[in-house]
Amino acid sequence: MKQVAVVGAAGMRPRRRAQSSWRGSGLTIWLPAGIMTMVLAILVLPPIGVLLQTSLTEVNETGGAGSFTLAHYAALLADPKLYSSAWNSVIFAAMATGVSLFFGGALAWIVERTNAPLRPLAYVTAFVSLGTPYVIYVSAWLFLLGRAGPINDLYRQFSGSSGIIFNVYSMAGMVLVEGFLWSPLVFLLLSAAFRRANADMEEAARMCGASVFRTFWHISLRLAQPAIIGIGLFVFIRNLESFDVPVLIGTPGRVNLLTTDIYLSITQIPPLLGHASAFSVVLIAVVAVLLYFYGRISRNADRYASITGKGYRPRPFDLGRARWLGGAVILLNFVVILALPLLAVLWNSFMPFVRPMNLAGLRLLTMENYLAVLYETSYVQLAVNTIFVSALAATLAIFLTVIAGWLAVRRWPGGATLDQITSIPLVFPGIVLGVAMMEIALWSPLPLYGTLWLISIAFVIRYMPYGMRYAYSGVLQIHRELEEAAGVAGASQLAILRRIVAPLLSPAIIAGWLFIFLLGARELSIAVLLAGPESQTMAVAMFDQWSNGQGAEASALGAAWTVLMTICACSLYFVVRRQSDMVAGS
Amino acid sequence: MANVDSALEVIDLAKDYPGTGHGTGRGIRPISFSLKTGTFFTLLGPSGCGKTTTLRCVAGLEQPDEGMVRLGRDVLFDARHGTNVALNRRNIGMVFQSYAIWPHMTVFENVAFPLRVSRDRTYGAAEVERLVGGALETVNLAGFQGRSPTQLSGGQQQRVALARAIVRSPRLLLLDEPLSNLDAKLRDEMRNELKRLQQQIGVTTIYVTHDQSEALEMSDMIAVINQGQLMQIGSPREIYFRPRDAFVAGFMGSTNLLTGTIAGSVPENGVATVKLTGGQVVKCQFPNPTSSVKPIAISVRPEAIDLRQTNAPPRDGWNRLIGTVVSAGFLGQTNRYNVRVGDLHLQSRTGPETNFTSGESVAVEFSVMNAIGLATADGKVGTDGPAQRIEPGNNSK
Repeated sequence: MKQVAVVGAAGMRPRRRAQSSWRGSGLTIWLPAGIMTMVLAILVLPPIGVLLQTSLTEVNETGGAGSFTLAHYAALLADPKLYSSAWNSVIFAAMATGVSLFFGGALAWIVERTNAPLRPLAYVTAFVSLGTPYVIYVSAWLFLLGRAGPINDLYRQFSGSSGIIFNVYSMAGMVLVEGFLWSPLVFLLLSAAFRRANADMEEAARMCGASVFRTFWHISLRLAQPAIIGIGLFVFIRNLESFDVPVLIGTPGRVNLLTTDIYLSITQIPPLLGHASAFSVVLIAVVAVLLYFYGRISRNADRYASITGKGYRPRPFDLGRARWLGGAVILLNFVVILALPLLAVLWNSFMPFVRPMNLAGLRLLTMENYLAVLYETSYVQLAVNTIFVSALAATLAIFLTVIAGWLAVRRWPGGATLDQITSIPLVFPGIVLGVAMMEIALWSPLPLYGTLWLISIAFVIRYMPYGMRYAYSGVLQIHRELEEAAGVAGASQLAILRRIVAPLLSPAIIAGWLFIFLLGARELSIAVLLAGPESQTMAVAMFDQWSNGQGAEASALGAAWTVLMTICACSLYFVVRRQSDMVAGS
Repeated sequence: MANVDSALEVIDLAKDYPGTGHGTGRGIRPISFSLKTGTFFTLLGPSGCGKTTTLRCVAGLEQPDEGMVRLGRDVLFDARHGTNVALNRRNIGMVFQSYAIWPHMTVFENVAFPLRVSRDRTYGAAEVERLVGGALETVNLAGFQGRSPTQLSGGQQQRVALARAIVRSPRLLLLDEPLSNLDAKLRDEMRNELKRLQQQIGVTTIYVTHDQSEALEMSDMIAVINQGQLMQIGSPREIYFRPRDAFVAGFMGSTNLLTGTIAGSVPENGVATVKLTGGQVVKCQFPNPTSSVKPIAISVRPEAIDLRQTNAPPRDGWNRLIGTVVSAGFLGQTNRYNVRVGDLHLQSRTGPETNFTSGESVAVEFSVMNAIGLATADGKVGTDGPAQRIEPGNNSK
């Protein structure tokens, strides 16, 4: 205490904090973040603005914009359908989250914390499934669980009835399929959490005499709890926003959700733009609130995990004989998540029409669907479109977020704002961003509507937060002194960014680029609203085919596309692996 | 190489980090020093004392709130006139604590980088080759040009960082704890190497460390810093033998601090009689002016304390206290004793020829010249403790 008093007594004169650092002073230090803020704001803010405006504007007889009105909101809130859809959405999201957390979580623990065999298979499963378009997955599941699928087929053979045991076009079917769709991602996210966990804590519990199960229940699960809650909320939000499963399963089964309601109101003729916009604004508000809580939880979860960290050697549990049980779970996951759907897709792709899987069907094997896919130029055009849109979006998003992430991590003045701006798009459900971009295109003097450019811009906005995460954590891993050394050596800020930061960041850049590319290549909800006749993407085309009953051709297309995307997903996996190796080795 | 005028003058440099509380942050109080061309200057202090901040202010990596930095005739920073030369135009060489070797470039490209981004002039390919080769040769890494830095050992990476710092013949070389990441044996080796290199190229150098033996061995001049404040500045011998206060005395090596009060006033020759807290009376010298009223402390290094038989004849100019050996330790070339004198516990390090055992009564003797009277104004030594021993290592982490 005495020391503090002595030091304090000398007192320093109050000084004005200089607004500069070694990176520059005055205008030069404000300019980079200022320019980036403007660029990103131009991308991110108009969608919200246009939705608000449209939702508050009357439509007059000529279809033009009229005066201010709250009628859209009033009509929306007075409609009892809103509440049943909202209820359906919440039930659907919550239950599907439960399914994927249970499935993905159990798998993550077995793979990361035990000595069960076949563990690499779980990663292969997860990464391959990342490359498969949801439409393909959903249609495969619809086939497997549907009327003609093997499950109902078996039931009919054994019971002799002509009915079905399981109706996939129901809430239960939607929950199951959505849960399966998300479990690979839950697995990847949670396995990272389990990997970071400190094995000492589990070993201490074992030394106290606890069984493997009790250790898992009282220690492993409790330690991972913040991460699990955070991931759970994240998946819940994504499920609430999800469009593929609701439109492919819910709509035929007459289970309406918020996202499908928006879709229907914008695709009917004439489109109810005001209604859809009001709807979107409400959904954005709900998601924003949820994201706020998610942000708080995940910050805590990170703090939790960073306590452990270094010096950790994986010491998995010895499950004894039960390790084969663990292996069986991994195998089951592989079969259920990857093998069966792909088998279904393959089966359908070789069949002239959708028919049950059995030996009798083998006589009908045909290559016709593949020939149609490979020789039809329109399909090639589809692939080119999709790759163009996704690659352009990934490139732009990564370019912007690498600069923004660098400015934010290195605390350039205004850098913190950039971090916030890039996370704004998280509040847009895909379908909502689709509505907003559609309205922007209608307002815009440029002929944007129906072009690939519009879809690309929408993708850039949508995936900016993901790019930012890659860039941000990538820059964090670069030791500050590596940049300072370049500065002392005489390099300008631009030279530091170009010659030091960018090369060191290249693994993160590649991984982030591939991730966004893959997401873009299978995105349906935005593209389905924005694609014109000349700007169809793969996911949209498959959706149309499936809706039009061309299931076999859609399957052939899907199978070919899955192979291509799997190659991309695998390279993502290797890049990520190499990146973590590099960090561990340095 | 560096025969240009590279005298460094730092006047009233100050930096405050708001919100870090009083003195706990890395901020620095107004600090001044001036170095002649070619001086090896060390900023020494415990971690968090502000020595690295001082260095970074000189480099231009931090912007001071106040003061002035002048290198030769060029003003690099002057708060009053708003002068602040951008760091990439200062032509300063710096070795970072982490070495900061860029892993995506070869050794050659790392060392060549300062030449490639230079704004003063452009270097031709042949010249770059020659200068990089020369710098690598200076640090004994000739032939390593094509290697990837990730294949190098810590000591080699260190040398690459050094080569990169000197390749453009900087006017000032800054070294931020460059040896702290090396193992003990390599550290000793690099100490000599660094000193030799600095003398060879004759560049003015500022060296930051928390290791007092490094500072003593390498420096022409040392500044001891504590909690952002310059405690003492001087040659290694001055700092070691004539510490200004208890902190400096303790930080420069283990020492015994005996508290007491001055009996009477301090005479001209600086030798005064002090009454210790325990009642014993000893003589010591005051190298620095001291007011006689305040409680003071006497610093006696363990190696300055001689243990003798109680019946040995007293020596002129030596203090003698009678005590009891509490513990004795044999360390090979020295013996270490802990002796109790009244309430005091004193550490003594004597030659291997002494041989006392625990419980034995001994004469504790130290020369008046080796007993340094210190002001205790910094509050480091209270009036309550009988004696305090500060191990240097304890302050470093």
